[in-house]
Amino acid sequence: MILSARQVSKSYGARQVLKEVSLTCSEGEICGLIGPNGAGKSTLFRILMGLVSLDSGSLDLRSKSPKPLGGIIEKPALYGYLSARENLRVFSRIQGLTLTAKHYGALMEQVGLSPDRHDPVRNYSMGMKQRLGLAIALLNNPDCVILDEPFSGLDPIGIRALQDQVRTLAGKRGIGVLISSHNLVELGDLCDRLYVINQGEIIREGPAQKVLQAAARGYLLFGEGLQGSRVLNSLHVEYRKGSALLFPDSRPIGAILNELTREEGVTLRGCIPQTDLRTLFEKEAS
Amino acid sequence: MRNLLLTELFKIFRQRKTYYAIAAVFVLEAFIMVSAYYQGREILEVLLENLKESFEFRGDLLNANLIIYLVLNSFWFHIPLILMIVVSGFLTSEYKDRTVEAILLQPVSKWQLIVSKYLAALIFTVFILAVLVGSTFLLSYALFGKGDLVVFLEGLSFFESREALRRLILAFLTGSLTMVFYAVVSLTLAVLLQEATVTWIVAALFLIGTTLLLRLDFHSDLLNTYFFPKLTDTWQSLFYPEVPNGVILRKNAALGAYTFLFALIGIWVFQKRDIK
Repeated sequence: MILSARQVSKSYGARQVLKEVSLTCSEGEICGLIGPNGAGKSTLFRILMGLVSLDSGSLDLRSKSPKPLGGIIEKPALYGYLSARENLRVFSRIQGLTLTAKHYGALMEQVGLSPDRHDPVRNYSMGMKQRLGLAIALLNNPDCVILDEPFSGLDPIGIRALQDQVRTLAGKRGIGVLISSHNLVELGDLCDRLYVINQGEIIREGPAQKVLQAAARGYLLFGEGLQGSRVLNSLHVEYRKGSALLFPDSRPIGAILNELTREEGVTLRGCIPQTDLRTLFEKEAS
Repeated sequence: MRNLLLTELFKIFRQRKTYYAIAAVFVLEAFIMVSAYYQGREILEVLLENLKESFEFRGDLLNANLIIYLVLNSFWFHIPLILMIVVSGFLTSEYKDRTVEAILLQPVSKWQLIVSKYLAALIFTVFILAVLVGSTFLLSYALFGKGDLVVFLEGLSFFESREALRRLILAFLTGSLTMVFYAVVSLTLAVLLQEATVTWIVAALFLIGTTLLLRLDFHSDLLNTYFFPKLTDTWQSLFYPEVPNGVILRKNAALGAYTFLFALIGIWVFQKRDIK
């Protein structure tokens, strides 16, 4: 475990923005923090990064790195009048790193930026700025990276590229990644572990698939022969062109799919859980 | 700390606004010189009309020393205003672009960052003043030639060319302390207010208020001598016939203490405040 926050609370005046929030992140683990806008994600990340003081609770960082945490809070903040290389130079120098031109070039290539580009970063697209922000966050080899809403403003290709980079960081370099979003699609298949935050409280947590499963409203099935299925017709189902939205009964979805394919010979091409955000963001009954 | 300071200076000299500030200083200087060239002789004629009946003047009184003295008078308002706008921008622009936050996401302490900003503001102020003094002396002597200095300060005072030059240099040095004071105050205002436009307005109000309070009699020797607005015109004392060296030193020391105090307030607030 690299990062651990226990019972963290924070108020601004009479408004409590975090209520006894606890979370952990280990080496090579991708932890997602999902919640609606204003849920307290950025405040929590600011506290973890030391930008904002906490009222109560504790933080535990187990790292021997001179920079235990790297991160981007909301959008990457860069010096628009400087080039990407100069931005890297500024952020590396302030932490006492003396990197060569070769190092800067390698860092830029690592995040998919051209080392030959010398114009000011104000000309860059949001995706390129995110990549540069990530390169800056990775300076000085942090053990854990915190990425707050890194997908906002990115197009689908940019989102996919960033997701791949995050997987590489965790999988190949063993860096713990704590990542937030208000969009489930962006985090769903990326995270190992998921925390759901709403109104300053962690309301659900656990392995990502388990958390999502618990809030699944239905399953979108793709395949052939769906409409004539006896099994499906006995359940609550909405048929669409080439697909069916299934609301299963008390049986596990695995058992239903098994029945469909083995006993009825339906050819299934896909099954996508349809998570109900309202259910996901509702506090679990204890 | 050294790395932070060098980075601050690198950023300052990579920003367009730094060069606008330098250009503003040159425009101001050029304006004073052109005005002096076309109107200075007439003003001198009016000023010395009565004295000409009793004294014989030799040489040209519209000379480099008078021009330098006129440029020095921009220390009342113009130069501090330019400095306050640019220096406060060192921090307000970083709040706006959220690069303060980005820096503090690196292993950098808050107090080191803000102290490096104050040191960079100090170096920048000295640099701007060096540009102003260097170019003023160079251009004035090249265009107007040397000569005796006539100054109207509670009455007319005349200084021989060499003595005038010595006093002008000392006045620029003393005035530099005032400029550093204003630069430090503007950075502290930037820490407190964060937003650029609000900081500019408050900085301009501070400058106007200080200039007004300078003229006010507080009916207290202590306040009249050591309240900070009363310390911003010490450089003018260099043009009294008898230079009050002791008073100048004491006032400069007091202004230095105020400068330090304002910087400490800024450092303390920056250290305490969350970066939201």
